[in-house]
Amino acid sequence: MTDREHLERAYRRLLAWYPRAFRRENGPEILAVLMADVLDGQRRPGLAQSADLIRSGLWMRLRPSVPASARTVRAAVRLMYAGAAISTVNLILVLAVTADAKVYHTVLGHRLTAAQARELNLTTLGITVLIVAALIPVALWLWMAWKTGQGRNWARGLFLGLLVLSAQHPVFGAVATEHPVFGVLGTAGIREGLVPVVFGPIIPVLTWLVGIAAVLLLELRASGAFFKSPGDGGPALHQAQMVELARIRSSSARWTRQV
Amino acid sequence: MILTALANGSQHGYGIITDVREVSGGRVRLRAGTLYMALDRLRADELIVVDREEVVDGRLRRYYRLTPAGAKRLADEAARLQAHAAAALRRLNLAGGMAT
Repeated sequence: MTDREHLERAYRRLLAWYPRAFRRENGPEILAVLMADVLDGQRRPGLAQSADLIRSGLWMRLRPSVPASARTVRAAVRLMYAGAAISTVNLILVLAVTADAKVYHTVLGHRLTAAQARELNLTTLGITVLIVAALIPVALWLWMAWKTGQGRNWARGLFLGLLVLSAQHPVFGAVATEHPVFGVLGTAGIREGLVPVVFGPIIPVLTWLVGIAAVLLLELRASGAFFKSPGDGGPALHQAQMVELARIRSSSARWTRQV
Repeated sequence: MILTALANGSQHGYGIITDVREVSGGRVRLRAGTLYMALDRLRADELIVVDREEVVDGRLRRYYRLTPAGAKRLADEAARLQAHAAAALRRLNLAGGMAT
């Protein structure tokens, strides 16, 4: 195998990071550009070039396919990604505080009785539940952003439902602050700089504001056109938007077949 | 930068990369992944379209060109940058005048 063939094969492997539909349409062209920029004797893709292809491929898989004309939906999807980011911060705080509490009790020789550990929820099961409970909102936000970006009408309804539900149950990020570990850390003054009590209300309030703003944007009349199926598109639906919708629907159908 | 590369007429992917490098005096080096991510977004926003396709040495070459909306966006952006640059130069001249 020549150097060029070896390199081309390596580039083809990197292109697998892109969604199949995008690869089918643009793969040969991207490969041509990559092969036009090859140095003499080069057998492997450069590190920066590989990182760029992986990053772009992942972005193409995750990005919302909302056309520029549907501005309100685009903004709502961005807010949902912001919600995921806030929940991720919450997750990091949960991990930091859990580790911190364990270390505090171990290093300073606080031998916890089984009953105390249970009360603080520092048992393995308690910690696992805590982490999973903090992971769920991150996953939900990302899933909602993805499906809303694909124009799924049910995602709009489900998102509203989840937000209402989270008023009853802390699904959308309030988990950590209501947990005993945080209360203990707040009052006992362990590493107050890391997770002060002030973090308590900020995360749930921010999450709520982001959620409500996204719901309002999705309920606007301007957003409605994006969620209509091409069959019942009224005169308000711009022709270019119809074409874009067809493209999104066909690419999502291909993606579904792929999985 | 990509819109600027297409302002003279249609270009293919590698042509855009070399043109951007030239226009930026070698400072901006677009990589293929970044370029095609941007081209996909510009196409979705209807700022560029595919002009034609050619096969050269057995490889696909797709040429892109600006749409009227793309040309307007580029003109608006250029005018905005020009206004900023003019304001900066005016103030520098003023400061220079006061210093001397």
